[in-house]
Amino acid sequence: MFSKVLVANRGEIAVRINRTLRVMGIAPVAVYSDPDVGAPHVATADQSLALRGSTAEETYLNIPAIVQAALDCGAEAIHPGYGFLSENPAFARACLEAGIIFIGPTPESMETLGDKLSSKDVALAAGVPVVPSSPVCLPGEPGTERFAEQCGFPLLVKAAAGGGGRGMRLVHQRHDLDGAIESASREATAAFGDGRVFLERYIANPRHVEIQILADQSGHTIHLGERECSIQRRHQKIIEETPSPALTPELRQRMGEAAIAVARAAGYVNAGTAEFLLDSHTGEFYFLEMNARLQVEHPVTEAVLGLDMVEWQLRIASGQSLTLHQDDVRPQGHAIECRIYAEDPYRDFVPSTGTLLRWRPPDGPGLRLDSGVSQGQEVSIHYDPMLAKLTAWAPKRELSLSRMETALSEFLVLGVVTNIPLLRSVVQHPQFRSGNYDTGFLEWNPAVTRPYVSEETRTIARALGAWASGQSPDAAEPRPTVGANGGTVSSPWQSVGARRLP
Amino acid sequence: MTARQGGMREIYPVESNDFQYRSEEEEGRFTFSLEGDSEEASPSVALEVEATGAGEGVCRTESGRSYPFAWAWVGSELHLWLDGALYVFQRPQPRRRGSTSATDASGDIMAPMPGAVLDVRVSEGERVERNQVVMIMESMKMELVITAPISGVVRRVAAQPGQQVERGMRLLEIAPSDAPGQL
Repeated sequence: MFSKVLVANRGEIAVRINRTLRVMGIAPVAVYSDPDVGAPHVATADQSLALRGSTAEETYLNIPAIVQAALDCGAEAIHPGYGFLSENPAFARACLEAGIIFIGPTPESMETLGDKLSSKDVALAAGVPVVPSSPVCLPGEPGTERFAEQCGFPLLVKAAAGGGGRGMRLVHQRHDLDGAIESASREATAAFGDGRVFLERYIANPRHVEIQILADQSGHTIHLGERECSIQRRHQKIIEETPSPALTPELRQRMGEAAIAVARAAGYVNAGTAEFLLDSHTGEFYFLEMNARLQVEHPVTEAVLGLDMVEWQLRIASGQSLTLHQDDVRPQGHAIECRIYAEDPYRDFVPSTGTLLRWRPPDGPGLRLDSGVSQGQEVSIHYDPMLAKLTAWAPKRELSLSRMETALSEFLVLGVVTNIPLLRSVVQHPQFRSGNYDTGFLEWNPAVTRPYVSEETRTIARALGAWASGQSPDAAEPRPTVGANGGTVSSPWQSVGARRLP
Repeated sequence: MTARQGGMREIYPVESNDFQYRSEEEEGRFTFSLEGDSEEASPSVALEVEATGAGEGVCRTESGRSYPFAWAWVGSELHLWLDGALYVFQRPQPRRRGSTSATDASGDIMAPMPGAVLDVRVSEGERVERNQVVMIMESMKMELVITAPISGVVRRVAAQPGQQVERGMRLLEIAPSDAPGQL
């Protein structure tokens, strides 16, 4: 096993990976951009190396700088987390060439599977159904016209290197196609360093169900069940649960086998996720893509299986064999994850920035928090607006949803606007409770994206607003934390002058 | 007993007009009533309010339910967290200001969020149609397409590609087409 691993990421996922590294007795090393000085992912690492600059391109997407950092600190391996360079074969190759182990699949299978189009060819060859799509192109290049003609509208423009809804556009009419291709390509260039896009038939309101797989270096491949990811805004998941209310044991087995078939065909090693669109009326499913990385929503799988995905990633990358067998995979209970975003759910999800004046996550039986922020921290424009992920587990779905609902109502955040009230409205919603929902949920239930305040609550809020405005402003200043020796405990963000309290 | 009269405005999650209220506080019991034009429009509430820490408290309604709450000042805004939701208030302003929308009726375009200008699609003196794309911004890795709020002529381009902008900063001015001689 490794003794030192560099985590080439930031935010909650870097904090979460650092945690497993510590549990396993491995020294975590952080890299950080200028705005991330003293951020939680730096504070939880043993060692940290600066990547000069603020933009992602200068820092967390900077392959030479990250590889050099790993060499400088003597890390044997790099964990890429998700996003940034996690699915960039050039990065995986650069690691290899520098003699550093990349914790993930080989560059070759990343090239095959990370690219949405060649991964479809692999799936087709493995006998797994896929959604029809056009050849890949850059803006202005030919090839899209004919597909658009055959396929008709609406259709989707997608980034070849995409993920997380970035570089994706839904196009309703021919007139908007060129503009959408141009804009998707530009966004994809900014997010992934690759501006290639393709068109895909749009399947209206399917369910989005994905299968987690694990494969070791000798080719032993298993699946860890599914995650239901149909609650999305702007094609980006916000709530995930497992098991999916839509899957029968028979369907689960078929989808699991399909995911394994794709992974085997691509010579896949390490953790990966096969994404499927599922028509819950017909039970037909289509392979969408293989995410060659750890997924944002992996905690729900960990919750029902009682395992640590990052631990398995490290064990596989260090050459150990996967000692789990398909029969060992027996999910217990139900888990749901909500993504807490700094964004305004009532104003078209516009990102919100500011200082986290108050940040107090909930606690209780069956709850887990993956957070990359702390009180006093600045939420900047530079990175993804996801602040944290909250996961609730219970033996039964109804109880885990109730645990989540209560936890969301206890989640104290002041200083930036969050999507917590929207998450709560969804979790409370009778249609969501019934389990009978699809990716069109927010579209069909626009009321959850409009503020609703009962007259009674509104009056209480106004009364408390009046009461608080009558208090001295000092009464709202969080007191400095006093250490055991009576001195003031300084937190890293204070020392770098990131504090900006009113 | 402390009796007060005051005024506030709600700006989140719903925007309202200024409201006037009257409150009394005695031994932790806080009564609050809105001063409205009609009986229906002037609800009132009596709460037991107790501060439990810095910027934090708990309130109990007459029906016996208790709600923890917290508050903080963000500039001139009072942010209140209550029952998992955010409410933002402001002291009444003499004039309406700080509109949160991207544009106002005059054709001035303000940055709807902090970020970077990626592309400016028009130049000064150019004629634009309502809803025409005039600028592309990026914030938190997402693209935001900025369109002309009115038809007219671009009077001033106030932001350049690559420039970092704060929320509310002026990006572009468009003179309405029915305002001759403003070029």
